[in-house]
Amino acid sequence: MIATDLFIAARNLARHTRRNLLLAAAISGVTALLVLLTGLTSGMREAMLHSATTLMTGHVNLAGFFKITSGTAAPIVADWEKPWEAVKDKVPELVYAAPRGRGWAKAVADGGSMDLVLAGIDLSREPGFDKVIQVVEGSLAELGKPGTILLFQDQARRLGVKPGDTLTLSAPTTRGASNTADVRVAAVARNIGLLSAFNAFIPAETLRQLYQLKVGTTGAVQLYLADPADSAKVAARLRAALREAGWRVMDPDPEPYWQKLMFKVNAEDWTGQKLDVTTWEDEMSFLSWIVTAVTWLGNVLVGVLLVIVAVGIVNTLAIAIRERTREIGTLRAIGMQRTQVLRLTLLEAFLLGLGGAAMGAAAGAAIAAGLNATGIELPETMQYFLLQRDLHLALHAGRVALAVAFVTGLTTVAAIWPSVWAARMRPVTAMHHVG
Amino acid sequence: MPEPIVEAVDVAKVYQLGKTEVQALRHVDLVVERGEFLSIAGPSGSGKTTLLNLIGGVDVPTAGTVRVDGEDTSRLTERALTRLRLDHIGFIFQTFNLVAVLTVFQNVEFPLLLQGRMTSAERRRRVETLLESVGLAGHARHRPSELSGGQRQRVAVARALVGNPPLVLADEPTANLDSKTGGTIIDLMREMNRRDGTTFIFSTHDPKVMSHASAIVRLEDGRVIGRESAQGAEAR
Ligand SMILES: Nc1ncnc2c1ncn2[C@@H]1O[C@H](COP(=O)(O)OP(=O)(O)OP(=O)(O)O)[C@@H](O)[C@H]1O
Ligand SMILES: [Mg+2]
Repeated sequence: MIATDLFIAARNLARHTRRNLLLAAAISGVTALLVLLTGLTSGMREAMLHSATTLMTGHVNLAGFFKITSGTAAPIVADWEKPWEAVKDKVPELVYAAPRGRGWAKAVADGGSMDLVLAGIDLSREPGFDKVIQVVEGSLAELGKPGTILLFQDQARRLGVKPGDTLTLSAPTTRGASNTADVRVAAVARNIGLLSAFNAFIPAETLRQLYQLKVGTTGAVQLYLADPADSAKVAARLRAALREAGWRVMDPDPEPYWQKLMFKVNAEDWTGQKLDVTTWEDEMSFLSWIVTAVTWLGNVLVGVLLVIVAVGIVNTLAIAIRERTREIGTLRAIGMQRTQVLRLTLLEAFLLGLGGAAMGAAAGAAIAAGLNATGIELPETMQYFLLQRDLHLALHAGRVALAVAFVTGLTTVAAIWPSVWAARMRPVTAMHHVG
Repeated sequence: MPEPIVEAVDVAKVYQLGKTEVQALRHVDLVVERGEFLSIAGPSGSGKTTLLNLIGGVDVPTAGTVRVDGEDTSRLTERALTRLRLDHIGFIFQTFNLVAVLTVFQNVEFPLLLQGRMTSAERRRRVETLLESVGLAGHARHRPSELSGGQRQRVAVARALVGNPPLVLADEPTANLDSKTGGTIIDLMREMNRRDGTTFIFSTHDPKVMSHASAIVRLEDGRVIGRESAQGAEAR
């Protein structure tokens, strides 16, 4: 029976080729859009993960705050090797770990000045760094020498500097006084969206000097894992292990460290060292609104289109069923049950939905692949918000399949009303003569 | 004596047309014995179609009872009524009413699929036998649109008979055919009636068609005004 149902449904669809093709095209259009949008949002997420980790955060960070008085906190971990040694055996997922200094300074050059978030980096410990940074001028190796800085294109432009030029960094130290350091521009790197607007890198040693910190003090130990998806799990494990080993550890809080520093830690009543284990998602949470916004915009767009398509389906099926009144009446008269009529009509919509959605998914995937291959450079404002320089859409078979299932399901659901109507059709309609 | 295949007692059917009521049938009593080849005759609007609809279980009477193969159609659920039509009644329509997207073979096979009792090999054999006996063995793969009116009605006859129902109803089966083709369809139905003992009830305007019947029930203005043995009726 199912085979015959399938056959009838397929033949019915084939009978009104134009009408159904139009509908299938609309369904596939929406599916393609859905695939592209999920591709874009996951592309953004992936780009964020890819560029933000390494630049700003590890997959997991063993960080912390030190307070001399309860009102003056610094984002530092003193003697970082001690807590790290105590727990590093607990992270079999680890690929490598490296300490990063954290700071904030005003950069002044002949051409201008700007605020920079500084990372104190030890290049020799960070094999992943040069995979993310694309140097356009100067050389990355220079950053290995003390008293240097790596800027991004926009920053270099704003400050009016090029490799070899000097600029002055002015920073508040932990003791409240201000300290300055002259640094030489080692290299200028290609912009990486919003992240490159305010992040700059100097050697870890230079950062310590600027803040007058002891050797052995760092901002965070950044951990890189084989699979970033393990981050939350590893973070929880580290937190527990550190507590066990007697450290004071802050409760998980999905905010970047600088927000905690500015709005939270200073208001708390404690002094000394507290450790804070965070994930890349915590550190990037201030950017996640972009992904959320794009996701929502996309959802609204797709939602509106889906409603239109659903109305089209209801309409088209209603027409198809009206045209088939006598046929359905006949089938009912010769002994087809209401439920069987319902199944038949739903099956027709299901097939239409599946066909349209599959076509749309294939088209969407092809377009995405094409866009990726073309390597379209985004306009600068877009680069900021999409966190990518070149448009990259991430395609995952699972998500594409989900989009197909979703649209097919919706098509079928939209068909319920006309199908019930068809099932209610009285068999006596088969007897009505022509007209 | 076996019970009659159809037994209508004091049947009335009222159609509501806006505020006016149409008395399509009133006080109709009718008994149809198994194996009859019965014609229902009467002028247009006399209630022939209405009566066949009630007997066929596609509609239920406003008053009175209609029993088909012992079942009171008014007392059955929608589901059971549908099952009654599937298993006990074959339908032949004036306008053939084949499923356009299915082949001749698939159209005839359809009731068997709905019944779901036969294997596909059994169905194939049964459908081929039926197509053979209506003279369409060579047309199994055609679609209805590729057939003439007479051929389509033959397919409909095969479809009505394929499930081996004790009763076949035909509302003006020849009205859309020329008289020669119509004659061959009636001959075919008569042959099936003789061969398998299937009861046929058909309505018609055409005296020539009526003449094949074993009995004629005459309707007028919603009443049975007489029942007679037709000239062509042979003693059974
Ligand atoms: N669905 C309906 N609604 C209202 N009135 C109806 C309906 N069907 C039939 N009637 C009326 O009931 C009466 C009997 O109609 P019916 O169709 O049974 O006659 P008939 O003998 O089959 O006529 P014909 O030879 O023209 O087919 C007619 O007056 C008709 O107008
Ligand atoms: Mg009629």
